[in-house]
Amino acid sequence: MPAPHLAEFVSAYVAEAEEHLVVANTHLLAIEVALRAGEANLRGVREVFRSLHTVKGLSAMVGVEPIVVLAHRMEALLRSADRSQARLPLAAVDVLLRGVQAIESRVRAFRDGRSVELAPSALLREIDAFDPEGPSSLLPTELTLDLPPELTSKLGKAELDQLRQGLSGGKTAWCVSFEPSAEKAERGVTIKHVREALERLTDIVKVVPVSLQGSVSGAGLAFAIILLSSAGKGEIVAAVDAQLSVSEVASPPTPPTDDLPPAPAYETEQEFEGQQQGFVRVNVKRLDDSVERLSALIVNRFRMSRAIAKLTGLGVDTRELLQIQSEQGRQLRDLRAAVFRVRMVPTADLLERIPLLVRGLRRTVDRLVQVQIDAGTTEVDKAVAERLFPALVHLVRNAVDHAIESPEERARRGKPLEGLLKISCAARSDTWLELLIEDDGRGIDGAAVAKKAQREVPTSEAALLDLLCAPGLTTRDTATTTSGRGMGMEIVKRTVDQLGGDLSLRTELGVGSVFILRVPLSLSIVDGFSFECAEQRFVVPVSTIDEIIEVEEAALVRSPAASDRLTVSMLKRRGQVVPLLSLAGLLGLGRSSTDRKALVVRRGAEAIAFSVDRMLGQQEVVVRPLEDDLVRVRGVAGATDLGDGKPTLVLDLAGLGSALNRRELGLPQ
Amino acid sequence: MTGLYIVFRVADADYALAAAQVLQLESFNGATAVPGTLPHVSGIVQVRGRIVPVIDLRSLFGDAPVEATLDTRIIVVELNERTVALRVDSSREVLKLQAEQFQPTPTVVNERSRGFINAVAHAGNRLLMILNLEKVIGEEELHDDPDHILEHGRAGRRALPG
Repeated sequence: MPAPHLAEFVSAYVAEAEEHLVVANTHLLAIEVALRAGEANLRGVREVFRSLHTVKGLSAMVGVEPIVVLAHRMEALLRSADRSQARLPLAAVDVLLRGVQAIESRVRAFRDGRSVELAPSALLREIDAFDPEGPSSLLPTELTLDLPPELTSKLGKAELDQLRQGLSGGKTAWCVSFEPSAEKAERGVTIKHVREALERLTDIVKVVPVSLQGSVSGAGLAFAIILLSSAGKGEIVAAVDAQLSVSEVASPPTPPTDDLPPAPAYETEQEFEGQQQGFVRVNVKRLDDSVERLSALIVNRFRMSRAIAKLTGLGVDTRELLQIQSEQGRQLRDLRAAVFRVRMVPTADLLERIPLLVRGLRRTVDRLVQVQIDAGTTEVDKAVAERLFPALVHLVRNAVDHAIESPEERARRGKPLEGLLKISCAARSDTWLELLIEDDGRGIDGAAVAKKAQREVPTSEAALLDLLCAPGLTTRDTATTTSGRGMGMEIVKRTVDQLGGDLSLRTELGVGSVFILRVPLSLSIVDGFSFECAEQRFVVPVSTIDEIIEVEEAALVRSPAASDRLTVSMLKRRGQVVPLLSLAGLLGLGRSSTDRKALVVRRGAEAIAFSVDRMLGQQEVVVRPLEDDLVRVRGVAGATDLGDGKPTLVLDLAGLGSALNRRELGLPQ
Repeated sequence: MTGLYIVFRVADADYALAAAQVLQLESFNGATAVPGTLPHVSGIVQVRGRIVPVIDLRSLFGDAPVEATLDTRIIVVELNERTVALRVDSSREVLKLQAEQFQPTPTVVNERSRGFINAVAHAGNRLLMILNLEKVIGEEELHDDPDHILEHGRAGRRALPG
């Protein structure tokens, strides 16, 4: 890894570069589509150019030379494409896409602190081959200064380098001549004064004393001050003294982009700031930090409630305290909402990589696929987006690799040769995001899946989905490079479970399938029921609980026990039979003493009840996921602090229930 | 190898860990058990707002369990972006060890100790066993008890896009 003080800079670079690369990819794909349709996409060409140009500038700033070289050569190709009204061969788009890929891998290498490979020369040759104007070299580093030779000779290597850098950074080099005189000194204009005034506005490269011949002032000495500045001549003169003579020594090189729209390059700081106006790029870690602090505040509030309750119990008048406390509660809720809004990213960002993924798959599996993405205006928490993405990738892969038929087969079935993959999403409420992955492929044959898994034929789509999500199931005889060994659906299911969401399926043979992912828009803080079970405290999110019921021993029917630790009883609830499990038994906590209450969760159409000792209350809790593999287990969504400084487990009863059902089905776990 | 080491005791034997790997030392006030984890995982604790799993070194090394005392400590270590706490019987010393004080673990010991020990170091008349942290916190196969409802997350650490 780079040195710690560099780390933040590096991550900002990586984030920005990746963003621009995504833009480049997106537009390259659009260009490809347009070309296939015989159209030109001039705007796309320019967008790609801009993105690459920015990536080049950024990479030069952090000194990743191979990326600078790659981006530069690709830029040159795009520039000539622009001149030819975006008419470029399809193969050139392919080369450019590979170029973006090569840059991406180098950005990642840089991010991970690995050594960055040189730009692949074969690829560079290919890029150049498509550029009718031939390879162009990087901006000349030669320096021509409009200075008398006696001054130029006074400049050392370091000063020349400083000038070179300043010029390529968009500044202009100036030479200010100052001739001291008694009259000027009287006005306070001395070399010291001039120097100080100039330093405020410019970077002084060197002050060279020059002897003057035939000078009238008698001193016979003048100063030539060579400096770099982005200020104009007038400003420099105004800053010091009207009698100064200022001449331009060298101006920044103008890149040959005359016929292109201005490209956003971070040539000067002002420009950089101007472009970013209204937006702040923040490392997610910092956001997590603020959430963490907020969590601490919420925990503190619980402690205060306890203290107030204690005072009230002692007969103290706490009305005012209670009023302040409820006000504080509202403020905390507002603050929480504000912080969480900051963490939201457009779902469109999450989906924009999908077309590229499909394009890659299309070549390996020989399918024709058209991708339609409708992300709408929904936003989702960054943490959710990050966790969701791998699941999305699996579903898209499955659709392209398994669901959509080969063009020949589609022709036989009278379907359009090109398969359709539609991804759309919508916010279902303030808290839920629904993501649909839809294909018009062959549909899922329940009977075939069942045969493969050696199970009974599922009677519903939900049962079919359960079967598909069983570990190790694959419907293909051979694992392909794109879709592994059928582990995909298991991972999708697990991801959705871990997010506290819900996965469902609609499928029709010969027509297609839709996978529907319902996930929370944001994580972390939930409304929870706290309860006690076998002397341990637990929390469950209120949203996962269908109902809390009283357990009446007499109304229970015990089923024959499959294992002595876990007995399953049944109870009647609104005319329906609901299985009742002892949570203590399920969690291996020993038999609990009372089992008075039961929490009912819904799993698809079926309900399951978990018996617990007693309910403690309902409160907002901050859920922290258990990230380490050592403690990441099914059925535990995370941990929270109820104010005692000790973690309390937040249970995922639906997850527990589904693990149970799987066992009952006899599927491998 | 030369550097500062945190010395600690587990079941009457002295161990040491490079101070560079240690984030902090805390007294132990009990952990919240997480059902369905490996037997040597005591549960989770909260250390400065972070949720950290606790590995009971006694249990990992096959020693008989003991009640926590005032001396019981947890050593919070960091390795490859993971933060894990180790429960030990006591920890009172920080020692500076020189490279020449180290010696490789004898093969027999190495085999018997399942690779938990990297090396041994002579400190006066004591022999310190240098803990192989990777092995202790990282290499475990997460088990699947077929009779257990709770199932381990076998999926690897979450892979982020990009």
